[in-house]
Amino acid sequence: MRRSKGDGDDDNNHKTSTVRKRDQRRDRDHDGSGIDSGNLQDNDDHVNRREIRSKYRDLINSVQQNREDMLNPSNNMLTEVLEEANKLFKDVRQAREAALDAQLLVVATDLGKEKASQLCAEGSSFDPSAFAEHLLSFMGLNRLEDAQNGQQNGGEGYLPDDAWDRVARRAECCFKTAPTFHYMLGSFHAEPPPPKQRTERQIRAPNKEAKRIMPTQLKKMEESQQEATEKEVERILGYLKGYYKEDPTAPIPYYEFVIDPNSFSRTVENMFHTSFLIRDGLARMYLDDNRLPCIAPAEEGGMEDGASTSRKQGVTSISLKTWKELIEAFDITDTMIQPLNVSQTE
Amino acid sequence: MTQRKRLSNTQGRRSDPLEEDDSDLTFTQPSTSQVQRGLDKFTGSQMDQKAAEVIQYILVKDQKKIPVRRADLVKHVLKDYRYIYPEIMKRVLQTFDQVFGLKLVEIDTKNHLYILINKLEPQEGAAGPPNPKMGLLFVILSLIFMKRGAVKESECFQCLLYICGERHEQFGDVKKLVTDEFVRQRYLECVRIPHTEPVEFEFHWGQRAELEVSKAKILDFMGELHNQDPQTWSQQYKEAHAPPPAAPSTSQPNHSQR
Repeated sequence: MRRSKGDGDDDNNHKTSTVRKRDQRRDRDHDGSGIDSGNLQDNDDHVNRREIRSKYRDLINSVQQNREDMLNPSNNMLTEVLEEANKLFKDVRQAREAALDAQLLVVATDLGKEKASQLCAEGSSFDPSAFAEHLLSFMGLNRLEDAQNGQQNGGEGYLPDDAWDRVARRAECCFKTAPTFHYMLGSFHAEPPPPKQRTERQIRAPNKEAKRIMPTQLKKMEESQQEATEKEVERILGYLKGYYKEDPTAPIPYYEFVIDPNSFSRTVENMFHTSFLIRDGLARMYLDDNRLPCIAPAEEGGMEDGASTSRKQGVTSISLKTWKELIEAFDITDTMIQPLNVSQTE
Repeated sequence: MTQRKRLSNTQGRRSDPLEEDDSDLTFTQPSTSQVQRGLDKFTGSQMDQKAAEVIQYILVKDQKKIPVRRADLVKHVLKDYRYIYPEIMKRVLQTFDQVFGLKLVEIDTKNHLYILINKLEPQEGAAGPPNPKMGLLFVILSLIFMKRGAVKESECFQCLLYICGERHEQFGDVKKLVTDEFVRQRYLECVRIPHTEPVEFEFHWGQRAELEVSKAKILDFMGELHNQDPQTWSQQYKEAHAPPPAAPSTSQPNHSQR
């Protein structure tokens, strides 16, 4: 914001009276007609103005840096700064310097306000250090004669442990604090129980061992089952061949062969094993003149013939009732196929 | 709620101040028609239930003594009941007043922050174990009060350093406790001193301190400590015993009752 039209235009009527007075003074000094005679004056102005601005900035800095000192009521430093500012302002012509002047005024008045507040000395003054000392005594400070290092309170002594509790108790009555809300029995903790993991690990070990035992046992059982059947079938074949040898002409009735009058279950087993013989072509069944089934071991050479001739299938079944009837009908008193365990014990 | 949203979407995006928006900036006071609609929607017992939830929320939040934000209340507790916020808050205030003896005060009308203070005067010997932090706070508040309302940060810490040191086994980092915790709880206010270079701060009494702490009692304590009559500090005495300002009911939310 420029008040004058040109730099150093002295004849401008818009200037304030103080500035006009200054201009007149300058005119007197410079022995000019009032119109600036050219570049020389411009340069001087620049230099002067720079100087003025620099001085203003110095003043502002001094106020800010030495704030504490200036606040002290014992000196007049602030007043000196203001007087200095007044002197500088006499040479101010342009807005730029005036702005700096305004800034200095703001800073100075701020300080002045603070100083004034200190001056409200109606009533006793308050000294923070005295306050601190009294407070420490209240807290129960044990002052030591000689200054100890590494203690609290700057080496003046040591406070009891409940020092701050004392202050707090005294302070509580000054506060209208709302009591804080807490559940009476506390809250629950959501944590996974550690024992659970331990039991899991303990159980795991026996499981593994048990599994290891199992396969070995199973294998044994399977073998015995297969062997037993094969052995039994062979044994029966042996019986059959033995009976046939005794009398090749006499036919062996099927039912007399398989039935065990002492045990129904063994009869069924005998029928089961005999069927293997027939299936494998090691024995043959035929009907005799009375149309009763008979069994005979197959001739060695006849195996191939048996394969070429048509195969016949039959299903035999027996029930308890039928078994008893057969025993009566054929008058079977003893079994032709001796049971396994009996023969073993004998 | 979803129906209203669907409707407003189809009708074009007109500026509906009560759209689903969690930010408190868009939560303006509901109009009377909206309040009426809300009142019709919920039964009295439902509103009592919701008020009870608000009370529980505030009580738990008060454990840390940090002010409760209205935005949090609306978002976490009120939800569907937000349009009858004034009605719910009326019940909340009443319950606090009559059942608990506490006062819910709105300390910041712009950002809508609430704190809980006790209506009753503190009783002798009724409180539990003393909280040493309160002691420290007490010292700072006394300092500020005796210095007529403001103490420079540097001066405050200088004094504290003398009394308790920088790190304290009960307080931890003293500076942090004062500048962080006490300020957040609104016991202290940290204000920048204008025109200072480098920047300096000073402490004032916070809004919570103004409401909770009795200046007269602080002055009494000063008198005890200095072995002086409190009246010798005439200016502080005048301030402490001044009649309370005729404040508008700060504990009521701003809305037209009738």
